[in-house]
Amino acid sequence: MTLLRQTYLVLCKDLRLELRRRDSLLTMFFFGTLLLFVFHFSFDLVPERVVEMAPALLWLAFLFTGTLGLAQLFQAERENHCFDALLLSPLDRGALFLAKTGFNLILMVLVEIVVIPLFWILFNMRSWNLLPQVFLVTLLGTVGFCVLGTLMSAITLRARARELLLPLVLFPLMIPVILATIRCMEEVLHAGQIGDAMPWLRLLLGFDVIFMTAGVLIFDWVIES
Amino acid sequence: MNKRKGILGALALVAIAVGLYWSLIVAPPDAYQGEVQRIMYLHLPSILIAYLSYFLVFVGSGLYLWKREKRDDILAHAAAEIGVLFTALTIIEGSIWGRPTWGVWWTWDARLTLTAILLLIYVGYLMLRSLIEDEQRAATAAAVLGIIGFLDIPLIHMSVYWWRTLHQPPSILRPDKLPWENVHPSMLTALTISFIGFLLLYFYLLSLRYRIGEMRQEIKALRLERGAG
Amino acid sequence: MRVTADKLAKAYGFLWALRELDLELTPGECVALLGPNGAGKTTLLKLLAGLIPPTSGQILLDGEDFSRGAAALRARVGLLEPAGHLYENLTVTENLAFFTRLYDRNSAARAIDAALAHVGLGRRAGDYVANLSSGMKCRLSIAKWLLLEPELLLLDEPYGVLDGSGVDLLEDFLKDQCAKGGIVVMASHHVSRVLDLCERAIILSQGRLTFNETKRQPWPSFDQAFREFLPHGGA
Repeated sequence: MTLLRQTYLVLCKDLRLELRRRDSLLTMFFFGTLLLFVFHFSFDLVPERVVEMAPALLWLAFLFTGTLGLAQLFQAERENHCFDALLLSPLDRGALFLAKTGFNLILMVLVEIVVIPLFWILFNMRSWNLLPQVFLVTLLGTVGFCVLGTLMSAITLRARARELLLPLVLFPLMIPVILATIRCMEEVLHAGQIGDAMPWLRLLLGFDVIFMTAGVLIFDWVIES
Repeated sequence: MNKRKGILGALALVAIAVGLYWSLIVAPPDAYQGEVQRIMYLHLPSILIAYLSYFLVFVGSGLYLWKREKRDDILAHAAAEIGVLFTALTIIEGSIWGRPTWGVWWTWDARLTLTAILLLIYVGYLMLRSLIEDEQRAATAAAVLGIIGFLDIPLIHMSVYWWRTLHQPPSILRPDKLPWENVHPSMLTALTISFIGFLLLYFYLLSLRYRIGEMRQEIKALRLERGAG
Repeated sequence: MRVTADKLAKAYGFLWALRELDLELTPGECVALLGPNGAGKTTLLKLLAGLIPPTSGQILLDGEDFSRGAAALRARVGLLEPAGHLYENLTVTENLAFFTRLYDRNSAARAIDAALAHVGLGRRAGDYVANLSSGMKCRLSIAKWLLLEPELLLLDEPYGVLDGSGVDLLEDFLKDQCAKGGIVVMASHHVSRVLDLCERAIILSQGRLTFNETKRQPWPSFDQAFREFLPHGGA
């Protein structure tokens, strides 16, 4: 069975489990929305400042929301020793990596599809026509987050204080993604197109490709019983 | 082995002493910054060694994942601990330099920020190791982080540099000019001697820390044997 | 498939779980793995399954090193945990469909239904695993391995959760496996039961192999090896 078919199989299994209970999805969605409210009160967002702060606030909200999702990523496998069941099987470890990354990506995209327009509504943003570009930039950043996040989630599985350790190791490594995504979004909101921020977009793409590849290759060694 | 380490330590001491002499006495003060610029003779070697150390973490991590030999894991761990020391040192030196130069203890310019990020990555690595009970799992997890972190460093560099250009362009590492065209030859000598001194000091400390790691493994093996008997 | 363990040893931290174990298994064998608690039975099973790497020594499957658990070899080895290795929030059928597809075996609905009927879970096909009792989960595990057709099947204390008919089901399944040329290694505390079923027994004590013989009437030196741990356990 090829890598992609195995990935698809595990991904479908995870999606099926999630759609049944919707634990992670709903929690992430409500948490993301809650953060928007918290930001409003914390930063006293008047209309003039909202546009310049929007990219940073949005991306921060997704960063924290995504971290919640990451903590749950291997939850299904932790029950009933299902982790062992997967390790026992002929499943390619790289396929497991891709499946988990894809699963987290889908969850985050679903959350983003709702939260971004919600942000636009709550903060009276005018630039509705720029939403597609904003989505695109967010998507690329989310891919980077999911790729590194899955790796870090996997290596911290057996650590004590896991919920604290995971952000500690993940966030410094995420800095290129954070910077690139926010700069691209700023440019989009400011100038209507990526334009000057192209180098940042390329950096983001490069990041995604490099760590997706590294993840698939290295996951063999990451996962042990 | 101890004798060789002793010689290494002694050499380090000598080189640093000579380097200090050159840095503080022989080299002329900087045209713009005056005496305070002399911290560069410590700051620059420190940062280079901090990065060298992470490279060694990377090498140790890669070898460990490939061959699963304990000594590579010991190397990575040792390099991380000594590296975090030099990184912290770099930040302190940079801060000391910054106070009279810019009037503040800290700025978010590219170089200081990058050094702080490197420190955070190191700290994450060491925390990861200490929070995983099983030694073999901890070694594997840390090795993965060592590799991923190293791959990320160039990307972090690019992104932070593009974002912040408050700091003066690095006079040694400017890509367009040759290293020695910017700097007074005496300053360059001071820098080189200082760097050699720090390098020797680094390897001395690393060898000590490595030995501690080895001894831990030896104790473990002895306990295992005792248990088997 | 021939299975060879060569100077196998496993240590956890400062504790030796297994020391210098040599073992040979040939196709068609049904082996009882006996020993008191903490003797290393579960460790040996996990090593043979490729789940954990040995501290020293190696495991060879048909001559190939299994230590890092190559995918092709993993597909031929199975570990039956009575109530484990099943997704709680998937249905009985979904679990079987997932695993059969993962192992590239027959995942047709007909095959799954037949397996479920065989183990007596035909009417529970649409139930979530979370709603099954341990005994039923064990039957589901049997159905799973029935479909996955491993050449080496390892079992860790399966008798605990099964009722009378479940035990008969399991034993018929295992006899079938051996008849087809597979190897079965079963760790259990139900000594008399397991000795009736298997024609070979190995005893582990404090990580060492203290007994390794096939059944000949009467079992030579068996009573002696047994005496050291019969007081501790066994039914």
